[in-house]
This record gives sequence, C-alpha cells and structure tokens, in this order.
Amino acid sequence: MNWIGFFTLIRREVGRFFAVYRQTVIPGLISTTLYILVFGFTLQQRISEIAGVPYTLFILPGLIMMNTLTNASANTSSSMLQMKLLQQLPDILTAPLSSFEISLAYIIGGTVRGTVNGILVMILGWVIIDMPIQSPFMTVGFIILVSWTFSAMGLFLGQLADTWDQLAMMQNFFLTPLSFLGGIFYSIHMLPEWAQNISFFNPIYHMINGLRFTILGVSDSAPSTSFIMAFIMTLIFTAMSIALMHSGKKIKL
Amino acid sequence: MAIPAIQIKDLVKTYDKDVALRGVDISIREGQFFGLLGPNGAGKTTTINILTGLVRKDSGTTEIFGRDTIRDFRYTRSQIGISAQEISLDWFFSVERLLSFQAGYYGISKKRAQPRIELLLKKLGLVEKRKAKLRQLSGGMKRRYQLAKALIHDPNILILDEPTAGVDVELRHELWEYLGQMHKEGKTILLTTHYIEEAELLCDKVAIIDKGKIITEGSPEELTRQLGKAGITIQLSGWKEEINTLLNEFHYTHSNGRLHFTVRDPEEDMPRIIKILSQEGCHIQHVDTEKSSLEDVFLNLTGKGIDETGEK
Repeated sequence: MNWIGFFTLIRREVGRFFAVYRQTVIPGLISTTLYILVFGFTLQQRISEIAGVPYTLFILPGLIMMNTLTNASANTSSSMLQMKLLQQLPDILTAPLSSFEISLAYIIGGTVRGTVNGILVMILGWVIIDMPIQSPFMTVGFIILVSWTFSAMGLFLGQLADTWDQLAMMQNFFLTPLSFLGGIFYSIHMLPEWAQNISFFNPIYHMINGLRFTILGVSDSAPSTSFIMAFIMTLIFTAMSIALMHSGKKIKL
Repeated sequence: MAIPAIQIKDLVKTYDKDVALRGVDISIREGQFFGLLGPNGAGKTTTINILTGLVRKDSGTTEIFGRDTIRDFRYTRSQIGISAQEISLDWFFSVERLLSFQAGYYGISKKRAQPRIELLLKKLGLVEKRKAKLRQLSGGMKRRYQLAKALIHDPNILILDEPTAGVDVELRHELWEYLGQMHKEGKTILLTTHYIEEAELLCDKVAIIDKGKIITEGSPEELTRQLGKAGITIQLSGWKEEINTLLNEFHYTHSNGRLHFTVRDPEEDMPRIIKILSQEGCHIQHVDTEKSSLEDVFLNLTGKGIDETGEK
C-alpha cells in the first residue's frame, strides 16, 4: 500500500472542496435555513405535528440527509469528471497508486464533504430550532455511512460521465426527485398505500428514515431495515466504483 | 548484457477498428537519450501511454529495468517521470502545492519533497510563480511546470511527449539545454517529437515510427549516412563531355558547369569526386555541401515529409 500517495490524494480531494467552500459548504446552509423558514414556519401552522414531532423539527433530518448525500456524490463525481476534462487524471493514473487506493481516497474525500455538510446542517438545526438529538453517535455514524455510500456512487458515475450535462442529469433527474419523494417534508403514512409501497423501494427514503430515527427517535418503518439498506448500498457502490476504476473503462483507452 | 531501461516487444494496440500499433519493438539502454520520431498519429503517444499505464495494450510486453509495467506497476511507475503532451490544468491549487501533491503520489512526504520543490522551482525559473495557479501561467511557464512535475520524484527515466510543442524558439532552446543537462546527469530519456532538429540535436539514438510500426532505428548520424541524401554542388570553370563517363557511378545533374550530386555521405564522396575532376584538369571554382537530415531519411523511407501525414 502506498500510504503517502493514498493520504496525499485524500488531502487533495478534501483541500479541493474546502478551497471553494462558497460553492461546496455555504449553499447547503443557506438552502436549509430557507427550507426551515419557508417550509417549516409556514407549513407548521397547517401541519402542527407528525408522529408527535413538530413539523419544522420533522423535516430537519431529511434536510440534513439531502445535504449529506448530494454533497458526497457531487464531490466524487465532479472531481473525477473535472480531472478527466482538465487532463489531471494522468497524474494519478501514472503514479504508483493502485485502483483500490485511488478509489478509496476519492470515496473518503467525498465522505468528508458529505459528513461536514451533514453535521453543519445538524448544528444549524440545533442553533435555529433547538433540535434535540436522541443519539448523537449513531447520528454521526449514520451520516458518515450514507456519505460513503453516495460518495462511492458519485465516483462510479463520475467515471462513466463524459460531460457536465450527464452529471447534471443524474442530480436533477434522480437524486433530487428521489430525495423529495423520500419523505423529507412528509411522513410516508400520509401517502396512499400504493405510494407508500413505491416509497419503500426508494433508497433515499431509507436514508432519511434512518437518520430521523437516530435524531428524533421516530421512524416511518423499522430503522433496522434502513440501516441494513444503507450498509448494503455502501458495499454495492464501493465494489462497483473500485471495479470500474480497476477495469479502466472510460478513464483509460 | 545489461538490462535495458525500457524494453518494448511486439506491442499491438487497436482503437475500435483503427490499428494504432502494429508490433512495436524498442530497446533503450540506461543513460540513453532516445528519440521516437514520427508524424502525428504515427503511434508515439500510444506507445508511451501504454508504457506509463494510461492506455491498455492488446498484446506485447513492456518492461522497465526488466520488470513488467503491469505486474510491477509500483516499481516501474516510480522509475518514470512523464511530461505529457497535453498540459494539465487546475483551478484550485498553487504551483507549489501541486508539486507537493505530485511528490506525495510517488510516496514522498511533504517534508522530504520541499527541498526538491525548491530546487526545481529555481532550476526551471518558476520561483516567482510558486503561489500562482496554473491558469495564471503563460504557455512556456506551463511547459516548465510540466517538466518540474515529471522530475519531482527524481526518476531514473524521463519520458517527454512532444515537450517543446507550441513553445517559442527561446524557450525551446532553454528546454533543450536543460534536457541535455538531465542526460549528462545520467537520466535515461525517451523523447517523442516530430521536430527533426530536436531529435538530431539531443538524441543519441532515434527510432522512426510510421503507421504504428518502427521503420528504422539507429543514431542520427548512422541513419542520415545510410538513408539520407546529402548534396554536393561544384561549380567548374569549364566542362568536358568525357567527365560524364568518369562520374557515372554518382547521381548528379549538370547545368552550365554547375554539378549537383546527391550522395549518401558527402565526407566520403566529395574527395573522390574532386579527385576525378582534378585528374581531368577541371578548374573548380566553388564547392558547397548540404548536410543530410533525418527529414531526408524519413522522406526516403516513407515517401512523404514528417509534417505531411497528420492521421485522424
């Protein structure tokens, strides 16, 4: 294992998003504040509580999760595509680093960004609406797990993508709709039964449900199912992104 | 026999249906300055990209100091420094930080890399640009940065893909001087270029590649002697028809007492021609020679100039 090379690549990936924190950290905090103000405080007058939890508080785990997973996936996917387009990738591919080390370093970089964003939004919720956290360790652990999952997914998609348009399509047509339909702003019990059944196949629903359980102690379905789901997705996406890197498809000719 | 620094055997690569390499064989001994000369699309970049792990080969073997570049990639890649033809860009980090990252990829800690970074920034005239971002550098500065990046881990082998493409004459000469120094320090250098002058000036061995195949190799002097066509022009004060018979072993043209010979080796042929003419009592007014170049060799072998054949 080339440990110095591995940690250098992690340092680069983390340094990259911190260098442009106005694009990578601040927007999530602003949009969450707006969601809390606009959705929370206005809708709270109509929907006072869901599962015994005030509405503004109910939506916060979903907002944390949305920030976590979009940032984690954006970090790896955009970094990989950018390196391809700016001819930086050869610097890494010609260095004595294995595909496993490169993939893992990228995934960790994305995981750090997802986790930093998730935790900052969590702190924001705690500051603005005094959000209680039932299980802080489990919450942080779950944020890290989900960050890893989506970071690995982002790396997989970043390797496949040739243009920014393709990445934007992934964000706009899949991640954002699945996040909104994953129960950020509502309990799936408020949906008709057929819609509830469909929601159960939405992986992001499980991420939100799991985090809502660790923060608020309430969930729409068994939290253990959500944790298992997150764990399985982590394994699948990690294996897929490493295998793709190893094969060299779309990054080597 | 010493193990070659770079050994490529029967390398074949096809992109979709386009055959890029048709069995390339190259052997470069340690300390050699080797030029891979050929037009655009001949297979130069593909060859070095396979060697450095950027392109997957279809078949053949590639070895660095006797070790396979795929099986022993950690060793082989640590021996090579690459200056790619395409200049990489970065929006986020300074020149100094990028060099520190590059050293890190090769297993060199930040602390250990710092003196080397200082040395290279100084040697390549980048000290004042150490805090600049890559996009703020001029084209020439970017080329120097590419070279600093290739040298950051002090590799034994330097692979330079068209290192002076698109740079001005002054910088080209500076880079040539620097590469010459690297060679004197004992580095093995593989240079791909389509600048004939560059190969003639720097390389002690040259291989000419065309359409994915090495068509000849040797020292520039050997190649020009064997395959080039030099010229000798002699102006006589008078002309005798019988000279035609005496000179029939040479290829020449004649017009108004001016003889133009096309020869392989002017140093060998000129004394013989002058001797024949003198023995016949011809008065020689003026002698001029044109040296043969690798361009002539290329022309002779392929029937076209090196810049005429831009493929796909």
